[in-house]
Amino acid sequence: MEAALVIKAVGALGVLGLVASGVLAIASRRFWVEVDPRVEQILSLLPGSNCGACGNPSCFATAELIAQGEAAPSACIAGGQETADAIADLVGAERCEVAALVVARACGGGTQAQRAFEYRGVPSCTAASRLAGGPLACQWGCLGYGDCVRACPFGALRLDDRGLPVVDLARCTGCGVCVQTCPRGGTKLLWLVPEGSYVVVRCSAHSKPKDRKAACARCCIACKKCERVCPSDAIHVVDGVAVVAYGSCTACGACVDACPQQCIDLYGRGRGVDAMAADGAGPAVGPRSSSMPGTDEPAEAS
Amino acid sequence: MTAAAQLALLFVGAALVNNILLTRFIGLCPFFGVSSSMSTSIGMSLAVVFVMTLASGATWMAWKFILSPLGVGEFLYIPAFILIIAALVQFVEMYLKKASPVLYRAMGIYLPLITTNCAVLATATESAKPGFFKMNIALGSSLGLGEALVYTVGVSVGFGFALLTFAALRERLEAAPVPEALKGAPIAFITAGLLSFAYVGFAGWFGL
Repeated sequence: MEAALVIKAVGALGVLGLVASGVLAIASRRFWVEVDPRVEQILSLLPGSNCGACGNPSCFATAELIAQGEAAPSACIAGGQETADAIADLVGAERCEVAALVVARACGGGTQAQRAFEYRGVPSCTAASRLAGGPLACQWGCLGYGDCVRACPFGALRLDDRGLPVVDLARCTGCGVCVQTCPRGGTKLLWLVPEGSYVVVRCSAHSKPKDRKAACARCCIACKKCERVCPSDAIHVVDGVAVVAYGSCTACGACVDACPQQCIDLYGRGRGVDAMAADGAGPAVGPRSSSMPGTDEPAEAS
Repeated sequence: MTAAAQLALLFVGAALVNNILLTRFIGLCPFFGVSSSMSTSIGMSLAVVFVMTLASGATWMAWKFILSPLGVGEFLYIPAFILIIAALVQFVEMYLKKASPVLYRAMGIYLPLITTNCAVLATATESAKPGFFKMNIALGSSLGLGEALVYTVGVSVGFGFALLTFAALRERLEAAPVPEALKGAPIAFITAGLLSFAYVGFAGWFGL
């Protein structure tokens, strides 16, 4: 009796399995879909980091779209001009200019910023921001636990001794993964700027300038000095914080020198300034780079 | 009661009164996993309706013609049904890729996700051999194929309905002034709990 049951059970499952595998085997032949051989070639030209900056979930999806002609050969943001040209040659499209972006950090607080409480949880910005909005008194500031550094697929970010992520412009591709990872990315703590942009404002706070000043020594205080000194009318205080219009900025650096809070920095590629030194410390040459406050403080997170 | 009225009652009972997500708490992982935006929820709901109905029909037949007559169903139904559902999902995926790329793109990533979904297995099991789960609707000792399909469509529509309601609420909550400590997952759990209360309120409708 029991032996018969075992045989029946094995038989039933075996029949089901055979039928299922048979159907699948036939289906895989019948429903075979031709794959465009160019997809593989395009994929090999793409960076392959699946950063998602183009809006597609993977480089493969982008390669498929490019092969079908649904996406432009310049669809890959991280790849930049070189990749776009190579793909354009491959699919026989016209070469086109790519507007390259780099990421910029809009906060100069770091370990200098006031803490509302001491956070002793998981050393991650996302975790810290979930707990009552994070330990910073400023709701806009950089938490400094380096989620962006870990997320960067190109190794272009590192935390410096001020507890702030510093962008290596030579490596940054403008993919925007760090912006998506940053819990403050929605309020533009990290954001993408044109690679030729020449100054960045190191503050993204929109609270009252007085409250802000109490929370952080390095914030924009909306004094409008930059607005007055700018010869090309390219910087304005909008909604309580200075904003640069990159279309008209000429990189004269007047606002950088005028800012009493030292929260405007020279930035961008091809400026003749060392990108790492330029980030957050003002121009590489000049009095401010040496008098940067907080450089002697230990980094807040590893 | 006419047969049509009975089927309608079965449908409502499966979709609302015994909602698989919010009163029976089966399939909660996609409920939280894909409900953060409306577009993913729509894709998931469509895929669930599609796969659940097909799987239920297939398992019903396997039970009726293979497992039950051989007398091995009682202990073999879980591996057998998983096998059937997995093969079916694979097949549907291949078929869709060929026949309807548009539909494939809409459901694409959700189809393999559903292969091992407990809600699908539970519903397929329930329609093949009713009585496993305690419910307000008495399914009787066995369902006809028609009844089984109506029941499954009811369950999957209920799944989609609950998922879309929840996703809509969560999208609103993104912009709402939620207390800092509750932002993200905590408020989602609270919302799900309240929503579940609302669904429990369906109990007693139509004498179910």
